[in-house]
Amino acid sequence: MIVCVAVVGHQNNPLYIQSFTEADDALKLHHIVHCSLDVVDERVNNPRKSGPTLNETFLGLLYPTENYKVYGYLTNTKVKFIMVTTDLDVRDADVRSFFRRFHAAYVDAVSNPFHVPEQKLQYQVKAIDDCSLQTIVDYCHLSCILDGI
Amino acid sequence: MDPANTPLGKMLLEEITPVIMVLNTPLVEEACLKNGLSFIQMLSPFCSFNNIDVPVRTASDQPYRIKKFSSRLFYGSDIRQPNLEASKDRLKQVITQASEKDISELCSDPPQIKDVINSFESAILPSWFHLFNKELIRNVSFSEHEAFDHPVACLLVVSSRDDHPINKFADLFNTSKLPSLLNDGAMDPKIMKHYLLLHDNQDGSLEKASKMLTEMRSTFGSNDCQLLCINSSHDGHIERQDDPWSLFKPDASIGKQLGCFLSNEDLIEIRELMQNLSSKHIIPYMEQKIRELNQQVSATRKGFRNQIKNLWWRKGKDDAVDSPNGPTYTYNSIESQIRVLGDYAFMLRDYELALSNYRLISTDYKLDKAWKRYAGVQEMMGLAFFLLDQSRKEAEYCMENAFNTYLKMGPSGHLNATRCGLWSAEMLKAREQYREAAAVYFRICNEEPLHSAVMLEQASYCYLLSKPPLIRKYGFHLVLSGDRYKRMDQINHAIRTYRNAIAVFKGTEWSHIKDHVHFHIGQWYASLGLYDVAVTQMLEILDCNHQSKATQELFLKDFLKIIQKAGKTVKVLKLPLPKINISSLKVIFEDHRTYASTTAANVRESLWRSLEEDMIPSLSSGRTNWLELQSKIMSKKFKESSICVAGEPVKVDIVFKNPLQIPISVSSISLICDVSSKSDETESGTNNIIVQKNTELKLSSDWDMGSDNALYTLSEVHLSLEENEEKVVQLTVTPKIEGILQIVGIRWKLSDSVLGFHNFIDNLGQKNIAKGRQKAKHSLADNLKFIVIKSLPKLEGSILSLPKVAYAGDLQRPVLELKNQSKFSVKNLKMKISQSRFLKIGNQESMNKDFPACLEKPNNREQGVHPIPSTTPNDTFLFPQDTLIQGGTPLLLPLWFRAAVPGNISLYVSIYYEMEDVSNIMRYRILRLHYNIQVLPSLDLSFQINPCPSRLHEFLVRMDIINKTSSEIFQIHQLSSIGQNWELSLLQPVDTIFPSRALMPSQALSCFFVLKNIHTSFSSEKKVSSVPVLLGSDLKLGPQTSDEQLFDTASFPLAAFHHSERVFQGTSNQDPNTVDFILITRPLKNTTDPGISESSHLFSHHVCHCSTSSHSPIWWLLEGPRSSYHDFSTSFSEINFKMTIYNSSDSTASIRIKTSDSASTSEGNETVPQSPNSANQTGWHYASLTQDIKVSSDVLGTQMGKSSSLESVSPFIWSGTSSTTVQIEPKSMAEAPLQICIFSPGIYDLSNYILQWELLPTAGSENIETTTSSGTSRGYPYYLTVLQST
Repeated sequence: MIVCVAVVGHQNNPLYIQSFTEADDALKLHHIVHCSLDVVDERVNNPRKSGPTLNETFLGLLYPTENYKVYGYLTNTKVKFIMVTTDLDVRDADVRSFFRRFHAAYVDAVSNPFHVPEQKLQYQVKAIDDCSLQTIVDYCHLSCILDGI
Repeated sequence: MDPANTPLGKMLLEEITPVIMVLNTPLVEEACLKNGLSFIQMLSPFCSFNNIDVPVRTASDQPYRIKKFSSRLFYGSDIRQPNLEASKDRLKQVITQASEKDISELCSDPPQIKDVINSFESAILPSWFHLFNKELIRNVSFSEHEAFDHPVACLLVVSSRDDHPINKFADLFNTSKLPSLLNDGAMDPKIMKHYLLLHDNQDGSLEKASKMLTEMRSTFGSNDCQLLCINSSHDGHIERQDDPWSLFKPDASIGKQLGCFLSNEDLIEIRELMQNLSSKHIIPYMEQKIRELNQQVSATRKGFRNQIKNLWWRKGKDDAVDSPNGPTYTYNSIESQIRVLGDYAFMLRDYELALSNYRLISTDYKLDKAWKRYAGVQEMMGLAFFLLDQSRKEAEYCMENAFNTYLKMGPSGHLNATRCGLWSAEMLKAREQYREAAAVYFRICNEEPLHSAVMLEQASYCYLLSKPPLIRKYGFHLVLSGDRYKRMDQINHAIRTYRNAIAVFKGTEWSHIKDHVHFHIGQWYASLGLYDVAVTQMLEILDCNHQSKATQELFLKDFLKIIQKAGKTVKVLKLPLPKINISSLKVIFEDHRTYASTTAANVRESLWRSLEEDMIPSLSSGRTNWLELQSKIMSKKFKESSICVAGEPVKVDIVFKNPLQIPISVSSISLICDVSSKSDETESGTNNIIVQKNTELKLSSDWDMGSDNALYTLSEVHLSLEENEEKVVQLTVTPKIEGILQIVGIRWKLSDSVLGFHNFIDNLGQKNIAKGRQKAKHSLADNLKFIVIKSLPKLEGSILSLPKVAYAGDLQRPVLELKNQSKFSVKNLKMKISQSRFLKIGNQESMNKDFPACLEKPNNREQGVHPIPSTTPNDTFLFPQDTLIQGGTPLLLPLWFRAAVPGNISLYVSIYYEMEDVSNIMRYRILRLHYNIQVLPSLDLSFQINPCPSRLHEFLVRMDIINKTSSEIFQIHQLSSIGQNWELSLLQPVDTIFPSRALMPSQALSCFFVLKNIHTSFSSEKKVSSVPVLLGSDLKLGPQTSDEQLFDTASFPLAAFHHSERVFQGTSNQDPNTVDFILITRPLKNTTDPGISESSHLFSHHVCHCSTSSHSPIWWLLEGPRSSYHDFSTSFSEINFKMTIYNSSDSTASIRIKTSDSASTSEGNETVPQSPNSANQTGWHYASLTQDIKVSSDVLGTQMGKSSSLESVSPFIWSGTSSTTVQIEPKSMAEAPLQICIFSPGIYDLSNYILQWELLPTAGSENIETTTSSGTSRGYPYYLTVLQST
């Protein structure tokens, strides 16, 4: 299950963090997302120079914690998407497609003419972001379940 | 890098060393305790040698030299596996001790993350980690599966005071007293023995001891016996520069000096003893043992045959016992022997040999499923690899393998796993693989919170030290570790970790995390009683509008609780609650400009300037102001500063905002000011800084000072802010003495417990300096600095009963009240009003009369003699010369207010006055009043005037009224015409057209009047004066019987307003043929709108410049019979008409009357007259003509259509000339006869004629371009009824 998705600006400032759990674990997820930025930084600063991964936006598994797996994605504007999942057996392709959808949703959100760059997405685009995000997350859950069968 | 010099290498050299078991008698201890030391403690400092330089030859033939060597001493009773509970306590003690050390450091500010990254490892890592790790490793000492803790030698010590020392020696090594590990076979009991006789010099001479020694030597062999003399110093005052024991017994009481009876000779003796023991006995013994064992192992295990045999033998044992620890091995089993061999080799630093032996048995243990032993051997292999600096991967693999194997064993292996982890972490750290080290630390966290707290903290430092530093992980692990410390009540440690974590999160926008850290650290500080630091931490979380409401409440509650616990009012610089919008800071001060209200002060200065231009004396004309005049008095330095007057408040507006979702209460908001008397300030500007500093100091002392003091008075404001509310707060400071007033900042009290203050100058001053633009820009500090001058008279003024909301046309009489509280009088008052259309100055007499009765027309009807009050050309009103205002007695001046046009109206009133007291710096001041009035639309009034077709000099007036209000009902009272002698009369009685007289909301009404020009003499003698004398006629639009008085439109206020209206509504009054109307209405009943006062109202609506003249300057009238009888059987009827034509223009007109008999006039629908291209007109043509025509043509056009249809039925012909031309002098009349022939009875419309007129140019023809020079007019309808006479 996807536990949390986050958008982090290019100054490593949180733009959007949304958790999909009922539990009161916001702080924990904040910490996890925050820590994963270390890994993102590292990957960005020491890119693998090989051909196919040169312009890759998908950063792959950032780090596994005890219960979670954290995946990252970096847009060409240096905005990072972080996804935290509890699924221990996740296929990269699924995560990639999730991030692609999420990227599209993000682009929709910031295309709002009233959006100020580097401003938190929490307020002004909440409606757009929430509903589309929820569908993406739901969709991914569904596809994971289908894959499982 | 030499592995032995790494922290791990050092640790191994220290920890994996030969163990010497010490067995002694109680008397030995007693002698040592005189020095505050136990026997072992006494010897310990001398056990390690850095330059022992002993040649060693182990298995190989090649000897090598050992430089460093150390050994460990243990009492026999201690050689057992340590008690877990005791060790736990010991660990806890280490932590607690460490926490007590750096309590002062906790209160300091957290370090900057940059500094942390750049500092060295040793600076970052707390030193007690080392101790802690050592303790942890000692937890698993003397385990049975490892041989390096097995005693190598036994030191038997007997005091010279003991009876029968020889027997004692034998007793000491009695098997029953030996540690159980030696007895049960885990350790080899056959160890090297060394006999020591301890002699206390205080007990007596050496003789007895030496005698004993010889006895011992004879018994145990001369080499193995030694004598040690201690306590040679009798007075017990040996001073040493470096205390050798300080490292080993750090917790010793300060009072007692350790080793006080040990002279330097004693120490030398001890050292020699230990060196001798190490180099002459232990090392050779170990060498020998290694060689011995090696031979044995080679014989049984080395070689192909042995290996096969071993393998087969092991296989055969497969079905043997499968206990969790595997089979037990005694010391004399071959496996144990190999292990001992390996460990001995390790201890003597023959790592190759050690490694080969470890390898040998590791497979055996694995096959035997002796996991613990296997793991232990793997561990040692890893260390051996490390120390050989070979094959890093192999080393890591071994450590990993050992670690996992220990874990696999379940709880019993945890402690070993911990040790293994610590070692492997150290190993990784030594190779700068910090991230891996951190992962290892993370893995050795167990359920025990204290333990894992330390491990997590160590992990966090690893993240910090890794290259590049993983700062966020550092922060995260610090937080995790802090939580665990807190769980174990190690508050100091928790604070330390959180404090370091703050450095990570500072400056980022991860507010969720930041809040959590600050909140908890704040609480912990509070629990330690460090309230000041606690408060500073809690301040960070107050501005938490991103948190949920509950959290905000919690934060605020806890903050206040801490404040309360602190037990005093806490002063906080930059308290974030409520938020102050510094950019909203606005200072209102009064120098020569004074303001009646805040709104007046908010008006742009340029607006006032332009209004006051003419009033202010000419000295200050141009760019100069009065200050420059006074520059001799004022030092030049203050030219830029603002002026304020002692005793008059300086107001400061500032916006407070509550960022939270919970209401907060803010009280005692006031300014922080500094007043210095004049004498101080003559010094140079350098003392500005001192002044500021003084205020800083004062802040602390002045807090409880009331708002009153000798220098100034401050106002206090209390308010409560609802969620997310913003409020403007106005604060005042009133200086009482002359000098310099500096507004420093603002202070307030949050929830009655926290005093916050905010320094205006600090903030912006520094910013300016940073920008380096201080010269270019007026700094805020300068703007907040005022020169206070002697108190002056000040005029206060207000307009009483001026409405806020009014309907258009509303006429009211407000009163201007002027007061001067001081005893000095002011004189030479002048007043100027920005919108004279709305506000007029009344005369003093009307004050006493009732309103609106004072406007009623007096019964003795005298008309048009009221002069309009004297106003200077620029509308400046001069008060009478003798007007003096002083001592608080108000001067009342009636004003007239009329809401002229709908909209939001700003009225600016500026009153200039001069001081009676000339000695003042200021000669004059200005009082500025500003009022905003909302004027709502009321009645929409329009007039349309057409010449009356039936009579000359008479006009039909149509008045259209629409009530545009939503609730107001108006009663129409009076319509007056003003202009040249016009007379207005009703076309019908008012009762018939408009019985109720009340105009309901949004009701429209049209009524007609007749307007008659009673100017009988048509000569041009009466010129229209520039200021028209307001003559007119009034028409009461009410029941004639009622006793309502008419209002005098020619009297002052109405006339004056009318004059303004005329000016505003039209540009020219050149056209004499215009008429102005004033409609006076009264509200029928009291309005429901509370905005409008209940007093009696009068509405006057002015419509000016209604043109009576149509486009044509020619009026005419067709006169003749309206009906006639004629006998058509005899002949046709001839009827004569007379056409009277009046030329109202100023030039001679040539008029042609053209009659046409055709049924349909070709020009019938062409109402637009031909554009006059006449020769005398060049260039311009009056284009707006069409508009004029449209106004009047709609009536005519329809009639024309009707008439033409009539004509087509029964024609008649104009007889006589079809075209007559007459010349008419200006303003004169002419008559022309007309005749028609009618052939049958009927009703005829005689409108089918046109008048072509042309104005002939006169001498002064230049001024006629505004009027039409030629044109065509159609005939008016004229119906003639002709009947057949009988």
